[in-house]
Amino acid sequence: MPLLGSFCLTFALALAAYSFVVGIIAAVRKDAVGFRLAETARRAGMASFIAILFSAGALVYAAMTNDFSVAYVKEHSNRALPAAYKFAALWSGQEGSVLFWCLLLSAYGFVLRLRHKVDQRLTAMASVILAGIQVFFLILVNFEARPFGILPAAAADGNGLNPLLQYPEMVIHPPLLYLGYVGLAVPFAFGLAALIMRYPGEMWIQITRRWTMVAWLFLSIGVALGGHWAYNVLGWGGYWGWDPVENASLLPWLSTTAFLHSVMMQEKRGMMKVWNAWLVFLGFMLSILGTMLTRSGMVNSVHAFAQSNIGRWFAGDYGWTGTPWHSLPYAYPGFLEVIFGVCLWFYIKNKDHLKSENKLESLVSRESSFLFNNLVLLGACFAVLCGTLFPILSEWVRGYKITVGAPFFNTIMVPIGLFLVFLTAVGPLLAWRSTSFGSVWRAFAIPALISLAVEVILIVVWTRNGIKFWRDISQIYALLAFCLSTLVITTIASEFIRGGRVLKKKLNTNLVFAMYHLTRRNMRRYGGYVVHFGIVVLIIGVAGLAFNQEQEQEMAVGDKLQIGHYTLVGQEYTQDDNANYGSDAALLDVYKNGKFITRLNPERRVYKANGGQPNTIPAKWSTLREDLYVIYAGLNPDTGHPIIKAFVNPLVNWVWIGVLIVAFGTGMALVPNTAQISVKVPQAVTVAAAIEKQSMQPAGVGK
Amino acid sequence: MKRLLRILLLPCALVLLMGADNQEARFQNLGGKIMCTCSCDQMLLKCNHVGCPNSDRMRKELHAAVQNISSDDEVLNWFRKNWGVTAVVEPSRHGFELLAWILPVAGLGLGLLLVIFIVRSWKLRTAPVAQADAVLDPHLESLRARAQRETEI
Repeated sequence: MPLLGSFCLTFALALAAYSFVVGIIAAVRKDAVGFRLAETARRAGMASFIAILFSAGALVYAAMTNDFSVAYVKEHSNRALPAAYKFAALWSGQEGSVLFWCLLLSAYGFVLRLRHKVDQRLTAMASVILAGIQVFFLILVNFEARPFGILPAAAADGNGLNPLLQYPEMVIHPPLLYLGYVGLAVPFAFGLAALIMRYPGEMWIQITRRWTMVAWLFLSIGVALGGHWAYNVLGWGGYWGWDPVENASLLPWLSTTAFLHSVMMQEKRGMMKVWNAWLVFLGFMLSILGTMLTRSGMVNSVHAFAQSNIGRWFAGDYGWTGTPWHSLPYAYPGFLEVIFGVCLWFYIKNKDHLKSENKLESLVSRESSFLFNNLVLLGACFAVLCGTLFPILSEWVRGYKITVGAPFFNTIMVPIGLFLVFLTAVGPLLAWRSTSFGSVWRAFAIPALISLAVEVILIVVWTRNGIKFWRDISQIYALLAFCLSTLVITTIASEFIRGGRVLKKKLNTNLVFAMYHLTRRNMRRYGGYVVHFGIVVLIIGVAGLAFNQEQEQEMAVGDKLQIGHYTLVGQEYTQDDNANYGSDAALLDVYKNGKFITRLNPERRVYKANGGQPNTIPAKWSTLREDLYVIYAGLNPDTGHPIIKAFVNPLVNWVWIGVLIVAFGTGMALVPNTAQISVKVPQAVTVAAAIEKQSMQPAGVGK
Repeated sequence: MKRLLRILLLPCALVLLMGADNQEARFQNLGGKIMCTCSCDQMLLKCNHVGCPNSDRMRKELHAAVQNISSDDEVLNWFRKNWGVTAVVEPSRHGFELLAWILPVAGLGLGLLLVIFIVRSWKLRTAPVAQADAVLDPHLESLRARAQRETEI
């Protein structure tokens, strides 16, 4: 089976290379022969998916059948490992994860090539670009990170899967995150193809937007599941630690979010074409950068794979060769430099194709709000990139790696995030082209008053409860976050109500039904508002971090630990042992304000196959208001008593609910509209004027 | 007299209490900027690694430093000096590490300049005007109309 897997990988490389080279020849020829060649290139690209699927299947089969003659299986699995985690071993190591990247890339390519009739010429060129990316990753998996390396002698048992990965979510988190990362290759391919071909019109934007939304959705869920996993497995009481690998997933998310906003400028007003093209390129380059950071060992992270030579394939290799007296510089560009070079080359060659069709008429307009939104999102992206790469820069310059952690990112990112929330509130109230301050104020006054009222109520309630928020910057930020979130929610609600009222009169129905119809008529716009709502729900959850409490105590049977309203009483301490791990666990009765509510069972496991690596399994009592999060931290070696650590984390569930709403809103925006309103364009006017005329609307009516 | 003494003592007690609270807040704040150096990759106050060779000692030293050193920067520098530069997860605000703080702000500033430049160039540009009897590209028009429908009521 490993031989078959290895052969399939080589065959897939040959197919992808054929699809790439012949696809280019076909694009150059542009005749009947070229057309037939393009068809063979398309089919070769599709066949490469089948070959990689067989190869991945062979690796999974080797893991399932405990074939420890395969070095990768020996490193990442063992006999006692449950079947689901044996399957997850496919992406839990360096080589397998690169193979998984290839598999998902070829799967996206398969769908793209299957749907080639959407636009045959553009899809053919996009398919060539995807084939080029496939060739790179298949070279990597065939020559550098080989998953089918055979050991001289088969081992009796494997080293086992990293205990941190032995968690149900880990079976779905990496695939979703990878689907997001890899999915950005498709908009990149279409964007570059349109630039190379000087493709007329906004067809590439129409096609790309849906692919980008799908990739963005996967990326959002993947990042959130990573946070959920960290919260439930890492046992430090939080879900986001600004770890370099977490940051690497945030970078393409931020740039893609910027693209999903600015793309509307191009669709509606023919503006920001250069910006959009580069945002699509940037999103893909950042996903490659993230892939490199996770796999090269360039940054220290709990999520990163081991140190390896794979980084130079991505970032290139530069230096001096020879003796100090007779040295010569050498430079081998990596994949990232090649991509950047190709994008830059075609941009310089065809930049006149990306000229804006319209001009900005007012600073108080939807256009300028998108510009600021993009500025802030890309500013946030740049800040995260700086903080993530600064340790590498400091190593180059100073010879040592400094650590850049959560305090740095919180200082920089929280104000940026709050400003972004403010823009989310104001943006939808601005009309295209121009808005008067008076009409903005009319639309903004009620939401602003409601959010101010919420702020005053919060200040009064907190002060009465003895919370001195003015002495803690994180609590001041939390107050601002609650206030701005209220502002966003009220503006979204007012948009729905305003639109619903218009339709209510037209359809002669009630407001709820009218709002439903309103949404069904423009799923993209109102789906977008639902996404915004999900984001502010998430932000409310994050703001809860400012009020976290924690308490650590040694607890014998019968001892009590008091935290917030909760009292934990030690009932029993047990030990267990199975083939995979040994564990110590505590049984704790939980009382809230003196009333019994539940029994928690935090656990500490020591996995046998990983050199006795310990792992905490927290126990939670979770409500919408707060989580009681309890960890069995271990035994005190002096007294032999267990050490219990408890956290009260307010509003954590709001984060997960927010993500679900975001996913739902994105799904809504992907659904086609039911009924459409006819738009009459007078014949004897300019394109721009026709579009602008349709766009003219009073402030508050929105997009 | 007793009443006057009470009135005078109350603010002193409050100030003292606030001071105690401040010390604890400083400890928590600084503890959130220092990493446990036992290679567990946890922040000092979050390290739940029982039998950790370093975290207890580091916490005691942090308590002592908070009591004895008034400047937070000096406390962090003390930890950098004694536990290595990687022990503090916030770049220093001096020397080369200051660059880490400047770069994001400079990036945002440059971005703002770029936006101003774009806005200015857009405002100066005249919109392309087609002839009154020009025939519109029907394909382009259908795409525009679709974009229009999908982003309007």
